[in-house]
Amino acid sequence: MKRGPIMRSEALHPGRVLAVARNTFREAVRNRAFLGLLLFSVAFILSSILLSALAVVGEGARVVVDFGFFAVALFAVATAIVMGALLVYKELEKKTIYTIVSKPIHRYEFILGKYLGLLTILVAQVVALGVIWALVILTRDGTVTFEHAKGMLLVVMEVGLIAAVAMMFSAASNPMLTGLFTFGLFIVGRLVYLIEEMLQAPKGLFVDNPVARAFGEVVVAVFPDLSVFDVSQQVLLGVPVAPSYLLHAFVYASAYALFFLVVALFAFERRDFT
Amino acid sequence: MSEAGSEAGSGPAPRKVPVLAFEKLSKEFKLGLRLRRVQAVRDVDLEVQQGEIFGYLGPNGAGKTTSMKMAMGLIRPTGGRALIFGESVERPAVRRRVGYLPEHPYFYDYLTGFEILDFYGQLYEMPKKKRHARVDELLTIVGLDHARDRTLRRFSKGMLQRIGIAQAILNDPDLVVLDEPMSGLDPMGRKEVRDIILALKEQGKTVFFSSHILHDIETICDRVAIIINGRVERMGSLGELLTGNAGLVEVVATGASPELLARLEGDGFTAAVAGHGHRLVVEEGGLDPVLRALLDGGATITHVEPMRESLEELFVREAGAHHAE
Repeated sequence: MKRGPIMRSEALHPGRVLAVARNTFREAVRNRAFLGLLLFSVAFILSSILLSALAVVGEGARVVVDFGFFAVALFAVATAIVMGALLVYKELEKKTIYTIVSKPIHRYEFILGKYLGLLTILVAQVVALGVIWALVILTRDGTVTFEHAKGMLLVVMEVGLIAAVAMMFSAASNPMLTGLFTFGLFIVGRLVYLIEEMLQAPKGLFVDNPVARAFGEVVVAVFPDLSVFDVSQQVLLGVPVAPSYLLHAFVYASAYALFFLVVALFAFERRDFT
Repeated sequence: MSEAGSEAGSGPAPRKVPVLAFEKLSKEFKLGLRLRRVQAVRDVDLEVQQGEIFGYLGPNGAGKTTSMKMAMGLIRPTGGRALIFGESVERPAVRRRVGYLPEHPYFYDYLTGFEILDFYGQLYEMPKKKRHARVDELLTIVGLDHARDRTLRRFSKGMLQRIGIAQAILNDPDLVVLDEPMSGLDPMGRKEVRDIILALKEQGKTVFFSSHILHDIETICDRVAIIINGRVERMGSLGELLTGNAGLVEVVATGASPELLARLEGDGFTAAVAGHGHRLVVEEGGLDPVLRALLDGGATITHVEPMRESLEELFVREAGAHHAE
């Protein structure tokens, strides 16, 4: 079929996606609230030095390692939920979307760019906090190994998945609901392994009550098991994280993230920007 | 469906494809929890030809912004369609040839004047060097050179409107869609926007812009459409449309003596006090005798102008007609 030069730019264009992503990152870097949160989380991790001083002799480094895992994941998850909930909403609320979607950009390119920008922010955050954490471990005479880095990599995968969930909800609802749903999914996701254990137990609620059992089975089947991404105990015990495990976790996180993003794209594609 | 544009020329009689066309364009919103139906735009048919400055006039809430957003693909019509160069606006590539200024535009306020335009330039896939040169050129055109490196947070409303215009012409578009481009501007700003629109026309561009203020439109538009309650009620040149008081002429004179006024009154002309003088409304045919009488009577004529219905009067008349239906 013969078409004019207008056909150009019908396909996905990485330049446009990157432009949106870069701008999303720049927004965070210039946002005082975000920088404040970053400073606070650094202070939080540093405070584990004090905490470790209270520990039994010889256990100081362990406390720092455990606490650091918890703190980095906590702040990264909080950032993923809050930013994910606000990113798209702010564009609609502040009407900045009008001058963007009216440019020759696909709506899905915009959402992808937003997600990519958020992912970059989260990676930068985890890396920055991870470095601080490593320094704290060293000051407590602990050793930092490649296993710690693997642990951080898994945190990135987890928050990447959560950010996609937030994007999905925010493409279709408001930040309050998005925050609530995403946080709920995070909590349930972290508890899925418990439900799974209860389902396999010889007795208990999930055995006695068929309705509860069906419910539990649905939750386990549908929700992502986020405990996959928490290897803090393993690292503490000195058990190495196998590369195959990392790969498995990556595929697991990517599959879920992709699904949530696709739903977000469809929801966004159908929207009227009134 | 979108072949109209590309097929032109192969047919026997190449029909000129309008730059912008609404075909039975309609939008129904469902509002609130009870999904109350509101018909914002009803069966609007409209064609804007190449090189025209087309004014889209109507009171607030008439459906101007909604139809313009449908033209830009921001809102999906519930009936009919909007075409740009004969193509569906849903296709991003079509928007490559269009510039759009939304009503009360908002921008990323953490970016500087340069950065925001540079960002939009990236969405047009402009190469860096060309983009930077174009952004600097635009900042000069809209008079924001001094604010190049200032964040938009510290821009005044008028300056933001200028950024809005700059981003609307960034890609050197063939069609420029401007939603209330002069709202919120001071008289100087209004004049500058008018000048920019006229300059675009000189370059052969097509401009489609909306306003609820007649004065913004009357001096520069080739044609206008008047939209009321979501329906286009009139379309044509302003002269054709504002015909409510056709044939009447307004005359203002100072220094008319009471005797003169009494004599005119005797002839059936009533003079009302207006400022320092008197104001008479005369039929076009009877103008000469009145003017002669005024001059002979020693009065000074300060103002003679054919009366035209104001847009407000037209709105009221059209809206009134609707109620009567």
